[in-house]
Amino acid sequence: MSKQPIEEWMERHRKEPDIVVKEKAERFLKAVELKEPDRVPLMFFTCGHVFAKWFKLSEVYFNYSKMRDAIVKFVTTFPSDIFIAAPAAEGFVLAVAFADVPQIAPVVRFITGPMHDILKDKWTRWPGRELAEHLPFQFIGGEYMKPEEYKYLIENPVEFIHNTILPRACENLSKPGSAQHAHTIAKLALEAINYLNALTEINNTLLKLGFPPLAITFAYAPLDFIGDFLRHPTGAMLDIRRRPDEVKQATEALIKPILQVAFILKPTGAKFAFIPLHLNSMLSPKLYDEFYWPYLKRVITELYSNGIKSFVLFEGDHTPHLDTILELPKGWGIGVFERGDIRKIKEKLEGHTCVAGGILPGQLIGWSPEKIEEYVRELIKDLAPGGGFILAPGIAEIDPAIPDANLRALINAVLKYGARK
Amino acid sequence: MSLSEEMVRAIVELDESRAIEIAKKRLEAGEDPLKILDDLRRAAEIIGEKYERGEYFVSDLVMAGEILKGISEIVRPKLKELGVSRKVVGKLVIGTVEGDIHDIGKNIVVTMAEAAGFEVIDLGVDVPPQRFVEAIKQHNPDIVGMSGLLTLAIDSMKRTVDAIKEAGLRDKVKIIIGGGRVDQHACEYVGADAWTNDASQGIRIMLKWMEEKKR
Ligand code: B12
Repeated sequence: MSKQPIEEWMERHRKEPDIVVKEKAERFLKAVELKEPDRVPLMFFTCGHVFAKWFKLSEVYFNYSKMRDAIVKFVTTFPSDIFIAAPAAEGFVLAVAFADVPQIAPVVRFITGPMHDILKDKWTRWPGRELAEHLPFQFIGGEYMKPEEYKYLIENPVEFIHNTILPRACENLSKPGSAQHAHTIAKLALEAINYLNALTEINNTLLKLGFPPLAITFAYAPLDFIGDFLRHPTGAMLDIRRRPDEVKQATEALIKPILQVAFILKPTGAKFAFIPLHLNSMLSPKLYDEFYWPYLKRVITELYSNGIKSFVLFEGDHTPHLDTILELPKGWGIGVFERGDIRKIKEKLEGHTCVAGGILPGQLIGWSPEKIEEYVRELIKDLAPGGGFILAPGIAEIDPAIPDANLRALINAVLKYGARK
Repeated sequence: MSLSEEMVRAIVELDESRAIEIAKKRLEAGEDPLKILDDLRRAAEIIGEKYERGEYFVSDLVMAGEILKGISEIVRPKLKELGVSRKVVGKLVIGTVEGDIHDIGKNIVVTMAEAAGFEVIDLGVDVPPQRFVEAIKQHNPDIVGMSGLLTLAIDSMKRTVDAIKEAGLRDKVKIIIGGGRVDQHACEYVGADAWTNDASQGIRIMLKWMEEKKR
């Protein structure tokens, strides 16, 4: 049997990682610049769940060197052009709480296992702690702000979140001014340094293996911030009807600290701001256009005019709101789309937005390798021309239930059919 | 326009304060509370249709659910006071399966099912198979509804159906699964009787089952 493209590619990763890194970086940049790269880039994004293929998750999430081993195992088994690992839970609320402490804010933007142990936060649940050892961590959010408290959030979001929300949501921060509180903050700061060192080491390791790091920072959609961390998504959806003015003022007030957090990493060369969306597909265009989009748009355009492109995860089916994306400046960034017809999305956004997505976990789990190959071939045939396309599973995880053979079929198909015609 | 029509319209337009105000007015005027509940069902149906047509979105369903809940909370004490009870079309035990805490969709189903006349026993979220089994023994429902949005929820659903089988209760209940990512494939794998990604379609399936059972 002749060698599969994936094997040849892996061999090149081993023999000439520097060249592979350069090729990948160029390929990605071309796509982001809305051009047609030498080949359609393949992107994998994981929050660590996929490591369950080989490791006990309770160990991976709580031990940074195990985490590195897991990442190495993944990339050397399933190579891609753009690889992003965020093996930690949604924690943008912490970044805002510490917005005035630039050493900490961006590092605690994701809550890692050890940080969860330190804080005992109720936003997240972890394997080997609240969950069975084989399960991935889970962000569960919750309601930590009463509807009557919008005024405090509006007045001073950072102070309110730091002084009022953290004590409610984190057991070990429940008594501000206590020794335990001080101790917890000190431990969190130390952990932030640990994690930053671990990330640096992971990035260096990846670079040597032929995987360029993505210079990334973080932002958030203001209304999602309220839904995810303060009022629960249901609460946020009711508030926009019951207290529309306060919600608008609060989303307005959140723009500044969100941008403040995002800009902290600018001096380190961050070129992209990662923004996962949640409430988008649940809102009617009318509500989206009034409560969600104007504020998210301000975040994205402000980042863009400061040299940072946005990397937006449009969860669910964003089709009803597609037109609004065209209000952004051309080349504003990358949109990863989960559901909806990717061909129509690409058609609408071509020449304006770099479109990522195209295949879903369900398809990767249920289909045969042959079917995946055929599907990817057709997808590339339709979407590669015109440029600005990245092939990726439409969500921020590679499901461990996807058979290895299917992931390999996906990679092989991109290598086989992705080259520019 | 009659108050009844006005109330249905206020609910469909998601005008919470107006809808509740009219409901109160009707009760004060001594109107039959059962009629008000019937209007809730009508309103829920219209809203469900609008959702299916893509006119309404999840946030609209969530608001509608709150209004329906709000009104039935005012009506219920009145029913008790009068010693009347609504004709129950069927009994539904529902929950979000183990490992999953997504409940926005499930809660919509709960309010819509109640509006349609079901007695609903809501087990909440992250419900282990054994709790479903116990609830079936305790409440003797016609239907068991399972909700889940995570991939792992599919396995939890399967384990729940298996546990129900093991307890010898599978023939006693119809099982429907729901949540944005379930499909025919999942339904067969799980061993459920039906699946849906749409609450109002789910209600129709359940009503059909109740009709069939009557025969
Ligand atoms: C809101 C949300 C959350 C909220 C949940 C709040 C809550 N209490 O429900 C929060 C922020 C807490 C959350 C957490 C997580 N989430 Co989440 N979440 C979503 C989101 C944005 C919307 C889901 C939703 O409510 N949809 C709206 C409802 C109305 O739709 P629905 O449930 O399908 O219900 C309808 C029908 O299906 C039907 N129905 C539903 N149930 C039933 C039952 C019966 C019996 C019947 C008849 C009908 C029926 O009726 C409804 C109305 O028509 C989706 C992405 C998306 N846009 O879909 C991700 C999503 C579901 N989440 C996801 C993930 C991964 C998670 C986390 C694991 C993230 C993490 N790594 O921490 C955690 C999981 C925590 C846990 N243990 O469950 C993934 C799931 C991927 C997968 N395949 O496994 C999704 C798809 C996001 C993504 N693209 O990656 N999430």
